[in-house]
Amino acid sequence: MTRRAKTGRTVEALKDVSFDVASGSVYGVIGRNGAGKSTLFRTIAGILPPTEGRVTLFGRVTPLLSLGVGFNRELTGRENILLGGLAVGLDPAEVGRRYNEVVEFAELGEALDYPMRTYSSGMFSRLGFAIAAHLDPEILLIDEALAAGDAKFKQKCFAKIAELCERDCTVMLVSHGMQIVKQLAVRCLWLERGVARMEGPADEVVGAYLEEMGTGKQASAMEDF
Amino acid sequence: MTAISPPPRPVTVYEPTVTGLPAMGPYLRGIWARRPFMWHLARTELKARNYDTALGQVWIILDPMLMVAVYYMLRSVVRPIGTELDRNFLIDHLIWAVCFFQFTSKSLRSGAQSILSNKQMILNTAFPRAIFPIVAVTIGFLDLMPTLVVYAIIHAILGLPFGISLAVLPLMLVLLTMFNLGCALLYAPLAVFFRDTTALLPYLSQVWLYMTPVLYTVGEIPPNLKPILQWNPLYVFWAALEQIFAGRMPSPGYVLASAAWAVAFLLGGAVLFLIRERDFAIRF
Repeated sequence: MTRRAKTGRTVEALKDVSFDVASGSVYGVIGRNGAGKSTLFRTIAGILPPTEGRVTLFGRVTPLLSLGVGFNRELTGRENILLGGLAVGLDPAEVGRRYNEVVEFAELGEALDYPMRTYSSGMFSRLGFAIAAHLDPEILLIDEALAAGDAKFKQKCFAKIAELCERDCTVMLVSHGMQIVKQLAVRCLWLERGVARMEGPADEVVGAYLEEMGTGKQASAMEDF
Repeated sequence: MTAISPPPRPVTVYEPTVTGLPAMGPYLRGIWARRPFMWHLARTELKARNYDTALGQVWIILDPMLMVAVYYMLRSVVRPIGTELDRNFLIDHLIWAVCFFQFTSKSLRSGAQSILSNKQMILNTAFPRAIFPIVAVTIGFLDLMPTLVVYAIIHAILGLPFGISLAVLPLMLVLLTMFNLGCALLYAPLAVFFRDTTALLPYLSQVWLYMTPVLYTVGEIPPNLKPILQWNPLYVFWAALEQIFAGRMPSPGYVLASAAWAVAFLLGGAVLFLIRERDFAIRF
């Protein structure tokens, strides 16, 4: 996977990364900033074409790669629920059927009637995850989308992810919060400068990563608090 | 008890970038499946556009009418109008000609920006990117509709006739929409790969205005300039529309030429857009 920089240099964002993810499991992807985690997810989602190799997916991908994608910030949260649902592939009837579940999960109360330009990043996170998680995803990609939520909402998200996995949804998760990855993921991939440094059980990979970072078993990100 | 098996999951394979057009069947089905999204996106963008202004959606009508007033003043300074009938014909001509030209220029301008201004969606969602130029043209079309209602009212107030030729107007609208979509699809990848082209667009649009029978009628074009102006694709559209709004059936030659330009631009724009689409996310 290469991207051409403005100076004309070719940057290999990902190189020789190969792994399998079991259906109905949570798979973590960790690494430093610029390791290629988001590029990996965009390749899996079909947004960036691979230059070598192949991505094979058994199921429909629902990407949650950025907060507020598809939302119009001048409109209210309610109006954006329809827009966000349509953006990820639902038709209006399907969004209507899930509307109450999304509203209940997001727990935004009367803020749903305010323009989204008044929302905090946490509120964006709530609504974005609520929509993505209620679309019957088969393969759900979460790239740091839980970072901005408060602790109570994160616990709610974890419960929802567990529920999705029981329904045979595969969840791939990028997070800088190692406790989150250890709590949720069965297996994990550690990327470093576009290369797979280590792949295996989440506990082992996270432990090796933290040892490399020099943080030991301490929290490695604000998300862990 | 028999267990009901879940439906088989779709298998998707992404392989290395290939040149050329994508598989058109799945691509067009992907666009067709996103009809509610495109419609809703267009409506919400229209709604949000004048959210903070005092006059709100009134600007959809006020903007072209103010341009008509400006061009009318310009015309009356350049050449005295003459009789009241001449004045009425000029006002009538300017209103429809400006409104339709704004449909084209807005489609081109918004279509050109449609990929760049939707960078977040391009980078974070996977659906046919042609949706964005289509939405841009849809917004231009939705802007045009209320202005046509205002035009019809003013046309009646000015005492000008409505003819059976109006039956051809929907066809010309479809052809102009196809042409505008072709322009948007053509310009959008140019704007991604050569950002300077967006800076050139206002000048191109202004020159195109002067070369199209907007500020003048087809009959007012000097004979020595007509062969040059006829190379402008919009010439035949405006020539047909002028006849329609004057109550005369448009010349079949103008309608056929409009159809030919519409198909050529739509196909050409679509081909260029589709062969470059895969690189949009990489270019950001």
